[in-house]
Amino acid sequence: MRRTTDRRSLQHLDERLGDHLVVPAEAMGDTIELVIAPASVPAVMRALREDGDLRYELLADICGVDTGLTMQVVYHLWSPLSPDWVRVIADGLSRDDPRVPSITFLWPGAEWGEREAYDMFGIEFEGNRDLRRIYMPPDYLAFPLRKDFALADDASRGPGEGIRHMETPLPPGEVRANPVIRTSAGAGAVLGPDGELLALGAGSIALPEAPDAAEERA
Amino acid sequence: MEVSEQDKGAKGKGAVATADTADRKAGTIILPNTTWTPADPEAYGGQPASIDHLKQLEFAEKGDNGRWGALDVVPTTADLLLDYLRANSLWPLLSGLACCAMEMMSAATDVNDMDRFNMFPFRASPRQADVLIVAGTLTTKMSGPLIRLWEQMPEPKWCVAMGDCTCSGGRYKRSYSTVEGIDRIMPVDVYVPGCPPRPEGLIYGMLKLQQLVIERRGQWQDRKVGPTVPDGV
Amino acid sequence: MTSDREQVRSLDDPEIMVQTPATIYDAIPPLTPRTEREAEFYQLEDGEMFLNLGPQHPSTHGVLRVVMKIDGERIVDVDPVLGYLHRGVEKICEYGDWHHAISNTDPLEYAASMFSEALPVLAAEQLLDLEVPRRADYIRVLAWELNRISSHALFIGWLALDLGGLTPILYGFAERDEIVEMLAALTGQKLLFNYMRIGGVNGDLNHEFLSRLGDWMSRAGEHINGQAKLMNENEIFVNRTKGLGVLDRETALGLGMSGPPLRATGVPYDVRRAHPYSVYPELEFDIPTRSDGDSYARYLLHIEEIKQSLRIIDQVLHKMPDGPVMAKLPRLLRIPPNRAFAAIESPRGQYGVYAVSDGSDQPFRFRIHDPSFFNLQAVGSLSEGQVLADIMAIMASLDPIMGGIDK
Repeated sequence: MRRTTDRRSLQHLDERLGDHLVVPAEAMGDTIELVIAPASVPAVMRALREDGDLRYELLADICGVDTGLTMQVVYHLWSPLSPDWVRVIADGLSRDDPRVPSITFLWPGAEWGEREAYDMFGIEFEGNRDLRRIYMPPDYLAFPLRKDFALADDASRGPGEGIRHMETPLPPGEVRANPVIRTSAGAGAVLGPDGELLALGAGSIALPEAPDAAEERA
Repeated sequence: MEVSEQDKGAKGKGAVATADTADRKAGTIILPNTTWTPADPEAYGGQPASIDHLKQLEFAEKGDNGRWGALDVVPTTADLLLDYLRANSLWPLLSGLACCAMEMMSAATDVNDMDRFNMFPFRASPRQADVLIVAGTLTTKMSGPLIRLWEQMPEPKWCVAMGDCTCSGGRYKRSYSTVEGIDRIMPVDVYVPGCPPRPEGLIYGMLKLQQLVIERRGQWQDRKVGPTVPDGV
Repeated sequence: MTSDREQVRSLDDPEIMVQTPATIYDAIPPLTPRTEREAEFYQLEDGEMFLNLGPQHPSTHGVLRVVMKIDGERIVDVDPVLGYLHRGVEKICEYGDWHHAISNTDPLEYAASMFSEALPVLAAEQLLDLEVPRRADYIRVLAWELNRISSHALFIGWLALDLGGLTPILYGFAERDEIVEMLAALTGQKLLFNYMRIGGVNGDLNHEFLSRLGDWMSRAGEHINGQAKLMNENEIFVNRTKGLGVLDRETALGLGMSGPPLRATGVPYDVRRAHPYSVYPELEFDIPTRSDGDSYARYLLHIEEIKQSLRIIDQVLHKMPDGPVMAKLPRLLRIPPNRAFAAIESPRGQYGVYAVSDGSDQPFRFRIHDPSFFNLQAVGSLSEGQVLADIMAIMASLDPIMGGIDK
């Protein structure tokens, strides 16, 4: 597999964005990964895009990730000056009320990507002028890709159960009976609510194999 | 816009109603377009006075709604001729949803030619189509428009479920947003399994449909307007 | 309640407005606007109306609903509504194996399945740091380029069909059917090939595939030249597409576009060269780029890309090494916790996947980035001021495939 050889970009990124980064910029495979707090998303993305040495103009991807402990928003960027991708993980969004500033002021095309992240996870992008559901019908109640949304099994749907149980609204005060939520340490550094680092992802090649947050399978 | 109780009592009809002054432009009368109901509930023998849904049309005993009751069973020469005419010019509706649409288009173009069976004109408007070939996964969001299309098609009409997703849900049986088989929401005449079925398979299905039409088998004779699969399955 | 005098009005009054209650048959649901953009869109000026290009329409390339605000015949604003084919692929991938993800991602880009299948394969290989045998890599490139040609042939056909030309679609489908029969001899399937495997491909080249390929290659050049001759200088086609839907470089980059629509604006971004994968560094081919940015330029790019693909196939056939076609892998594949982003150049643009693993045999997060999803955002800005008939040409020239857009 391609290893990133672009030490120059790594250095630049560390210099320009040093105070926003939670962990130092690291090279994973052919990607340079940055982990930031959600509040610094506008500043970091603007710096990445407009800095003359970095010029990460192409937004390759924007998505949400539900790690079971927190929510993340992950951006991938590409620059004509560097052969590597840059991955920006905005970690530490709470699973109950995930909010992150929108980057539609830099890339208008992120609007639909953010709509999709809202539709699938419930992540509110502050500043997106059009944050409504894009895939599911507008009156849909759940957020499908969250880890507490379970796909119905053939076993759980007995004969006569034509309804989709995840989509019926619960009476107030009730909690859905799905206590085991899948988490993964592979998703990256885990930040606490104040931005402090709780655990590092086991996937970083800069660290030895550290046992971190429990991995439970749904 | 509610018809107020006093108005009904005073005039005996619900024709002219008052509107809220807030909703009314100066000088405009707004008439609610509700179903007129007779003042006497027994006036029509308990049946609703106006038929506003196809389901009710189905069970209405009166009037000519195209069904002749017992006479349908007796095949006449004219009916046979009509069936041959219908079978040999089944015009599909362009209703390709997903991957199966690619094979449907391939069946319609020059390598596997459906035009040999006079099925080429894929009508864009449901008013002009005979067959609804549902090709591709049906999602819950799309099921509304699809039923609307089906209801807009004039009788006689048939439905072909093409592909595994429409027959039973297929590879998306577990998904949160698909309908597991279109026979949950509409009556199906021919099922063409495959993921996707080869164009030859679709043509075989259409030929089977032609056979059904000629033999006056299949659903449309005595079919109910609604799903094939009973509730609760 | 108003007074009696106001209630009694004549039914012949011309100002009577009969109010029909909103039913499910309304094209535009009478919802209160939920967002700023919706409020702005659903505000009608004098003389404007909404027209719903519904999910069922011959020209929407699948089930895309476009709500258009039109003033006479000119389009003022456009609101595409997606989701009529949302099948929950990402969620289903999380509930299956890494191997199952290959067949789950097949129907995403159903005109070019080899590319969508390659996503879980490349992602898993990156996560495992797996070396793929060279023969497998070459066969993959062969399959990719063949699928690219068949997809482009279909694009040309659909573009002409949306403009009213009924002949090129037959040419396109004839070409596509021939290529796809060839791939069926190789993979067993015409459409959703299920051919890529983590560590290689499913089976080696066989005699029938090679003989069909040889047959087709000898005629392919003439076919594409014939197609080009039919449409390149065709007066009607050129008049309708030249200068239509002009995108400039900054808008295209801002919208996150990729693929031929981006290259037509002058940005030479092709993942095969920008971020090379597989054996593309060893192959010689050019990246066709144009700077006009209109529909005609996008069409010409597709023709040129077919020619480049033919060139690649030629080189691949000459350089094909011997060896195994699949690396040895356990069937129960557990990938240690990690994350990877892999991208390939599909006929529609940059197809990317962000995969997160968690140590088990199921993907933890399998995010699919589809190029048509971001390309379709351009429809809004491109169709302002255009005539109704031209919105079809604009949409067709952006080459959307709803399977990928809606996932």
